[in-house]
Amino acid sequence: MTELALERDVSTQGRVVVALAERALRVQLRRAQFLLPSFLLPLLLLAVIASGTSAAQQLPGFPSTGSYVGFVVSGTIMQGTLLAGLMAGIAIAGDIEGGFFDRLLSAPIHRVSIVLGRVLGTALIGVAQAILFLFVAWLIGADYTGGVGGILLTIMLAALSASAAAGLGATIALRTGSLSLMQNLFPFVFVLLFTAPAFFPRALLNPVLETVSVVNPLSYVVEGMRAALFDLPGLGSVGWGFVAGIGSVVLTCSLAVWAMRSRLRS
Amino acid sequence: MENAGTDAAIVVEKLERTYPGGLKAVDGVDLIVASGEIYGFLGPNRAGKSTTVRILTTLLRPTGGHATVAGYDVVSEASQVRRSIGVALQEAALDPLMTGRELLQLQGALHGLRRPESKTRASELLERVDLVAASDRLLNTYSGGMRRRLDLAMALVHRPSVLFLDEPTTGLDPVSRASLWLELESLNDEGTTIFLTTQYLEEAEQLADRVGIIDHGRIVAEGTPQELGRLVGEPGLYVKLIDETQSDRAREALAEHGAVSDREAGGLTIRTALGARAIAPIVRSLDEAQIEVDAVEVEEPTLDDVFLAVTGHRAEDDAGDEG
Repeated sequence: MTELALERDVSTQGRVVVALAERALRVQLRRAQFLLPSFLLPLLLLAVIASGTSAAQQLPGFPSTGSYVGFVVSGTIMQGTLLAGLMAGIAIAGDIEGGFFDRLLSAPIHRVSIVLGRVLGTALIGVAQAILFLFVAWLIGADYTGGVGGILLTIMLAALSASAAAGLGATIALRTGSLSLMQNLFPFVFVLLFTAPAFFPRALLNPVLETVSVVNPLSYVVEGMRAALFDLPGLGSVGWGFVAGIGSVVLTCSLAVWAMRSRLRS
Repeated sequence: MENAGTDAAIVVEKLERTYPGGLKAVDGVDLIVASGEIYGFLGPNRAGKSTTVRILTTLLRPTGGHATVAGYDVVSEASQVRRSIGVALQEAALDPLMTGRELLQLQGALHGLRRPESKTRASELLERVDLVAASDRLLNTYSGGMRRRLDLAMALVHRPSVLFLDEPTTGLDPVSRASLWLELESLNDEGTTIFLTTQYLEEAEQLADRVGIIDHGRIVAEGTPQELGRLVGEPGLYVKLIDETQSDRAREALAEHGAVSDREAGGLTIRTALGARAIAPIVRSLDEAQIEVDAVEVEEPTLDDVFLAVTGHRAEDDAGDEG
């Protein structure tokens, strides 16, 4: 392929990815069964946790983030992005079962673009979730001492988290092609969430969870958000958050592309 | 877009597809579709129609044989094939939470159109398939006929040279079906090659220049509807008598014209190579025998008769999902 042809190809596929991301965003936001778990459920959990378990802040070893709601909002963002990723997988499985996926495959586009379009759409949903959840938490008492820069870094980590979750959802959907299986994965989101320090600092998790949290990349992402939002030592590392986030995106998207190739070979 | 130097839009040689588990859905299919032709691919469910279409549209790899579409190999030049074809698969796979216009614009983007071009093309096609009024409504408010028309419009976004339609009118009411047929005829008049699978014999007879009949993964007959009709034997003439008690006398009077068989009370069928040319002599014979005639009609063999003749069973005998 000549340099010009390659440039044209990259530009065309870029437009395809954007068009597919637009579709993912538009359709997901029109689907009530998506909005409920991805936006409303995390907010409800945030409200319940913030009002019912704020005494946790008094525990020895709990970081002084000003308010418990400020501490848990990064966990809420993580929850939302994981559910958005699951919804992305459900949408892909729905496309496969409904035949829309064949329409995409019969178009002259790179197969990777199909995965990237869905991932980009979910990343944008992650951005919307982070902005909403941070705003609501601020309204009910969170004070982000990390400033605007910290908020922007948190939103970027949310986009990475949503992208990684979408990659994972896409992998499972492409492997199985089963809508009902995807719908039954809902509880596993909470397993991922509770094996990361989403709602409590790592030091306060029981030894088993603490050990598991070390190998759960979400731990570093959620701690990275917290470190960005609050200018406090000991909350985690923004840098490690990005390393874990980017690594997870690369890993899960690669798995999704591999799953796509396996599906097409069969 | 199409490779030069060939008049064939589709060439299929010894095509095979065996699924994991051993099911052979396509078993050595050979066919050629000329550019500008409407080719009807006819067969019951599980005959191998959809599998063949999925191979020709690059959605499935063959396990044997070879096929080219618009001059490109469906395996090694799949991307070029996809640029040259429009595809409307079974059951109009459309996202119910998008509008008709959004879907057409998305399809434009998938085929490399820039946003303004995609918008213009979407408007043109919505007009063509008479969906302008519904264009900004979600698909879940569309009727079956509207969805099929949109599906067809989506397949036309990039002006393909070859159009694959997999059972495009299944489940449609007669009015919607007739409207889609008109649109397909018009597309064909503009030069588009159409490869059409159908379970409806009437549809193949109405639209197709040539028809291939597939059964158990093999082409069992191929030709124009008229050529296939001749496989059944001589055409029939149906004679309806005013007085059914005259049937025996009518049978005697008509015996010299061909083989006579009873249809129902007061109705007879005469098989004769003369076809419509036998009408006058038949009416004359009946008149001479003083037998009153209500109607005489030519009965051309249908593809249903052909199907029965070449496969030993009727097209609707098989049920279930397509293999």
